[in-house]
Amino acid sequence: MRVLVVDPDPARAALVVEGLAGVHPLEVRHATVFDENEVAVFGPDVVVVAADSPDRDTLESLRDASVLNPRPVVMFVDRSEPGLAEAAVRAGVAAYIVDGLAPTRVRDILEVAMSRFQLMHQLRQDLEKAKADLASRKTVERAKALLMKERGLEEEQAYKLLRKLSMDTGRPLGAVASDLLAFAGVLKGDGA
Amino acid sequence: MSGASNLTLGFVPLNDAAPLVAAQERGFFAAENLSVRLSREVSWATVRDKVAAGALDGAHMLAPIALACTLGAGGDPQPMIAPMALNRSGAAFTLSRRLTAAFAPGETRRAALARLIAERRAQGEPPLVFAVVFPYSMHNYLLRYWLAEAGIDPDLDVRITVAPPSRMASRLAAGELDGFCAGEPWNAVAEDENLGEVAVRAFEVWRDGPEKVFGVTADWAQRNPEVLQAVLRALLKGAAWADDPENRAQLAQILSRPEYVDASIGSIARSLPTTSFHHNAANAPLPVQAGWLLSQMMRWGHAPRELDIRGMAEAVYRLDVYNQAAADLGWPMVSPPEAADGFADGRVFDLGAARAYAESFALGRMVKG
Repeated sequence: MRVLVVDPDPARAALVVEGLAGVHPLEVRHATVFDENEVAVFGPDVVVVAADSPDRDTLESLRDASVLNPRPVVMFVDRSEPGLAEAAVRAGVAAYIVDGLAPTRVRDILEVAMSRFQLMHQLRQDLEKAKADLASRKTVERAKALLMKERGLEEEQAYKLLRKLSMDTGRPLGAVASDLLAFAGVLKGDGA
Repeated sequence: MSGASNLTLGFVPLNDAAPLVAAQERGFFAAENLSVRLSREVSWATVRDKVAAGALDGAHMLAPIALACTLGAGGDPQPMIAPMALNRSGAAFTLSRRLTAAFAPGETRRAALARLIAERRAQGEPPLVFAVVFPYSMHNYLLRYWLAEAGIDPDLDVRITVAPPSRMASRLAAGELDGFCAGEPWNAVAEDENLGEVAVRAFEVWRDGPEKVFGVTADWAQRNPEVLQAVLRALLKGAAWADDPENRAQLAQILSRPEYVDASIGSIARSLPTTSFHHNAANAPLPVQAGWLLSQMMRWGHAPRELDIRGMAEAVYRLDVYNQAAADLGWPMVSPPEAADGFADGRVFDLGAARAYAESFALGRMVKG
């Protein structure tokens, strides 16, 4: 397990190391500030950061960036801030560690964070795919309707024509339909 | 209201926290029988989480955060309202000296930037890296707007990352950033240390555009309507005080203190005039401005294309709540404009045609159905 602890306080990194004793292989790296290049090189399985770290905004933005491989983020929370941890989890932090926690619990929390993150990541990807599929289906329907109207085709014939275009050009049906609609728009004078 | 109300309000070390700082230091909170503790926060994510959790009653907030929370962008929805704007303008885009040294005389900065980006691509060099302060920030949307207008794709031609405002200058110096878009005084600090040069200011892209708001959860506002009005009256007086050029020297001195912005008086004083804290009805939360922000969130794929922009803008930017506080102070009430102008490209944003506007840009990440 590779763990990056971003915290000016070395005591927290020590707590993580202690809690993960017995995990093999294990590499815990401690950094006082977050460095994107370091993350790219080190490739941590999980990042641990203090709730009051200025680097939280950067970590949060990485979660939404598809170009960089997002990582589960675990937050250290001060006991004097009730509710903060739950709010952070609602906003996308995978899990949290309350200060003063026994080191024996650290391993469980990091493992829960990683599996929860995987699950959320999968759900998001599925949702994106479902949305894209739906958009593509709508485009195909509109292109079909256009062909039926302009070429006087039956629905089945219009669909076959689209499928033939798709096979001839080696491009997905949705892309062919989208091109057809765009060109039809140009011919009608849209965007000219 | 009976007895003093104890409140904790959050802020991030920036010039535009001035209305909160002035309300505290000039006794406007105390005059409203409010006992306020100002809590200095280091990240916008923490501000958002603490407001959502009730650890803060309200906070100095990037305008799009209140919208993003209500939308549930990146997490579960948490309805927030912005019953007051804290300022207009004040942000700027600073480019590193290394980069501007390669600009030719007579070339506009943006044309020079577009040329350098094209040259780098042709030579197979990695893209330039620019930082903004948060994904859901005016800074991000303004920078994207400005770059895209020159044909620079903000997602493909450059890399936009996030860094804390107070660390922008040092990251510019370390060569990790080629530019950044942040609030003041951090652009002035980079210029004063001769690390960077302001390429464009927010008001040059959109005159009187929105910047920070005072944000609370919709739930808190509903439970504490009278306290909220008292806070707004104090903040409005604080904003008016901060806006007065006669008070600028004193304001710069107060803001420079370690418990507030913790930067040099010189950099703060020099950058204060670029921000409007009060004049031109700067404190009115106009739904049309929220609508423009939502149109840009939609344009770049941060908000779903089915979103009812007007409905969301009016639910979050509560001009009615602001108007009540303004009326209590004997100040003019503001009626909501339907359209916003003042953009450098001459375009007009019409709240009634927000989705068509979002779709109208040549560069964008909207899924076209």
